Amino acid sequence: MRKDLVAAAILLCIAAAYYAASTTIPSSTLEDSVGPRGLPVVLAVLLAMVAIVIGVRALVTAPVSGEAAKDAEAPWPRAIGMLVIGALYIPVANFLGYWLTLVMLLLAVILYEGMKPSWRMLAVALGGATFFFLLFDVLLGVRVPEGMLF
Amino acid sequence: MEEFRHALEMLVTTSVVPAALGGLIWGMLGGATPGLSASITMALLLPFTYTLSPMPAIVMLATCYIGAEYGGSIPAILIRTPGTNASAATMLDGYEMNRQGRAGEALGLSLWSGVIGGLFGLTMLVLLTEPLSRLALLFRPTTYFGLGILGLSVIASLSSKSLLKGMGAALLGLMVATIGTDPVSGVSRFTFGVPDLLDGIQPLFVMVGLYAVTELMTRAGITPNLIKSNASIRVRFPRFRMMKKVARSQIIGCAVGTFEGLMPGAGGTIAAFIAYDQAKLWSKHPEEFGKGAEEGVAGPEAANNTVASTALIPLLSLGIPASNSAAVLLGGLLIHGLLPGPRLFEQNSDVILGLYTGTFVADIAQVIIGIMVLPVCVWLVNRPKPYRSAFILALVLSGVYTVHMSLFDVGIVLSAGLLGYFMKYFGFPFLPAVLGVVLGTKLIESNYRRSLVLSGGDFDIFFQDPIAVGFFVVAAIIMLGALYAEWRAAQQRKVSLA
Repeated sequence: MRKDLVAAAILLCIAAAYYAASTTIPSSTLEDSVGPRGLPVVLAVLLAMVAIVIGVRALVTAPVSGEAAKDAEAPWPRAIGMLVIGALYIPVANFLGYWLTLVMLLLAVILYEGMKPSWRMLAVALGGATFFFLLFDVLLGVRVPEGMLF
Repeated sequence: MEEFRHALEMLVTTSVVPAALGGLIWGMLGGATPGLSASITMALLLPFTYTLSPMPAIVMLATCYIGAEYGGSIPAILIRTPGTNASAATMLDGYEMNRQGRAGEALGLSLWSGVIGGLFGLTMLVLLTEPLSRLALLFRPTTYFGLGILGLSVIASLSSKSLLKGMGAALLGLMVATIGTDPVSGVSRFTFGVPDLLDGIQPLFVMVGLYAVTELMTRAGITPNLIKSNASIRVRFPRFRMMKKVARSQIIGCAVGTFEGLMPGAGGTIAAFIAYDQAKLWSKHPEEFGKGAEEGVAGPEAANNTVASTALIPLLSLGIPASNSAAVLLGGLLIHGLLPGPRLFEQNSDVILGLYTGTFVADIAQVIIGIMVLPVCVWLVNRPKPYRSAFILALVLSGVYTVHMSLFDVGIVLSAGLLGYFMKYFGFPFLPAVLGVVLGTKLIESNYRRSLVLSGGDFDIFFQDPIAVGFFVVAAIIMLGALYAEWRAAQQRKVSLA
C-alpha cells in the first residue's frame, strides 16, 4: 500500500507539471471552441483525480497479506544502471561512431549482467558489432551514426 | 473467385512469400527466446518494417505473431520456461511429455495444432472482418469519437488488479499523445522548442520502450535457473490415430480462440488457459491432464494460434487493438499511413489480400520452418542470458535509429523504457498507455473537436448519432462491470480477512 501512496504522489506531480506546461500553449487564430489547451487541461484534472483516489484508497485499505510471490525482478538501482548503459550509447556513438560504440555496449551489458571477463566475451562483442554493422550499414543501407573520431 | 486468382498471383509477383517467411522465422526465434513475449518480438521487428512498403511490412508483423506463438512453446516444452505468456498453458503437459522422453512428439503436436488453429483463425478473419468493417462506412466524426472511447474502455478488462491504475496508465498515454502539433489549430504543444518533437511521439517508440527496454531493465542481472536442453531433439508429427485423439481439444481450442480473439483485452494467454480447462472438462481422460496428456498440448496451442488471426478482426475492421500484439500491429499500420476501417478495404485492398495470403503461407509453412528452425531455437534457448540481453539492447538501439536516422529517437525509446519501469514497479498495466498513445489525438481528440466544429459547439451532436450512443453505452457497461467486479473482489478480501 505504501507503493500506491508513492505512485499517487508521483501521478499528482505529473498532473501538476503537465497542467503548468499546458498553460504555456500559445493561442491561435484558427482555434475552435475547445482549443489546443482543452484536452490537456481535462487530462491533467482527470489524472489528479485518479491520483487522489489511488492515494485515499491506499490509506483506508488494509494491506493485503500473503500476496502471490512475484517473478524475480532486479532492484531499481540495477535496473536504472541498464538504462544508463543504453543512454551512454547516444553521446558515445556521436563521438566514437557506431561500430566501436556497439562493441563497448555489448561488452558493458554482458559484464553488467554478471558474466566474468573472458576472451570469448570479447570475441562475441566484436563479432556481434560487426554483424550489426554489416546488417544495417551494408545490407539495409542505413547510414549508421558517424562519430567525430571514426 | 477473382480475389482467389489475385491472391495466387500475389504469391509469385509480390514479396508476400519472403515477407511471410521472414516474419515467421523472426517470430519463432523471438518466441523461443525466454523473456521475449510475442509483443516484444513484434516491437523489435517494427523499426525494420519502416523501410519496407506497406504490404510486406504488415505481412511480416502478422506472421511474426504466428511464429512467436509456436516459438513460445519450444522453451515451454523443453526447459519448462514459457517463451510467451500464452505458452504457459502448453507447458503444463508439454514439459511432462518431455520428461517422459516425448519432447519431439510434444513439439510435433504443438506445430500441428498451430496449423489447425492458424487456418481456422484465418478463415474467421476472412469471413468476419470485411462485413464488420462495412458498418464503419456509416461512421461520422461523432462515431469515431465514440469508437475511440469504446477502444479506451478496453482498459477495464485489462486492469483486473486495479481499474484506477489502468485509467492512470491510459491518461499517461493520452498525455504523451498530445505532444506535438495540435491536429486542429496547428499550434505546437509540449514541444519546449525541440523541433524533433513537432511531429509528436510515434507509438512505435513508446511500444519498443515499454515492452523491450522495460523488460531488459527489470531482468538486469537476474540469471534464471534454466535447464539445459538437448540440441538433438527432432519434431515428430502426430500419426492419424493421434490426430483423431486430439481433434476434440483442437476444436475446443479453435472455438475458444475465435471468441477470445474478438473480445477486447482477452488475448492468447486467456484463450490458451480456457482451452486447456475446457479440453480437460470434455476429455475422455481428464485424469491424464498435467501428466503429459497430448490433448493438454493440442487445445492451448490451437487456441493461441487461432487468436493470432482472430485478434486482427476488431483491429482491421474498427481499429481496436484487443491485445498487446494487436496494438503493435496497429502501430505498423499507422507507420505506413494505413487507417483501419472500411477505407482500408477499399483503398488498400492489396494490403489486406496480401495479409490474408501471407498469413495462409505462414500457417502452412510453419510445419517445415518449424522443423528447420528448431535447432537454432534450441541453441538460442541455451545461450547465456548476458549475451541475449546485450544483443537485444543492441538490436533495440540500432533498429530504432533506422526509423529517422536520429539518435533523438533512441532517447525517446529509453525514456519510454524508464516510464515503463516505473509503471511496472507500481503495478500499472502497459496496454492502456499504448492505447492512449495510439487512440489519443488521432481518433479521440480530433474527432471530438471536429464534431463540435460541425455542430457549432452543440454537444447534442454526440447524442444524435445512434452508433456513437451505442458505443458510449457499451463502453459505460464495460467500465461499470469492471468497477463492480473490483468492488466485489474487495468485499471478498474483507470477508476473508475477517
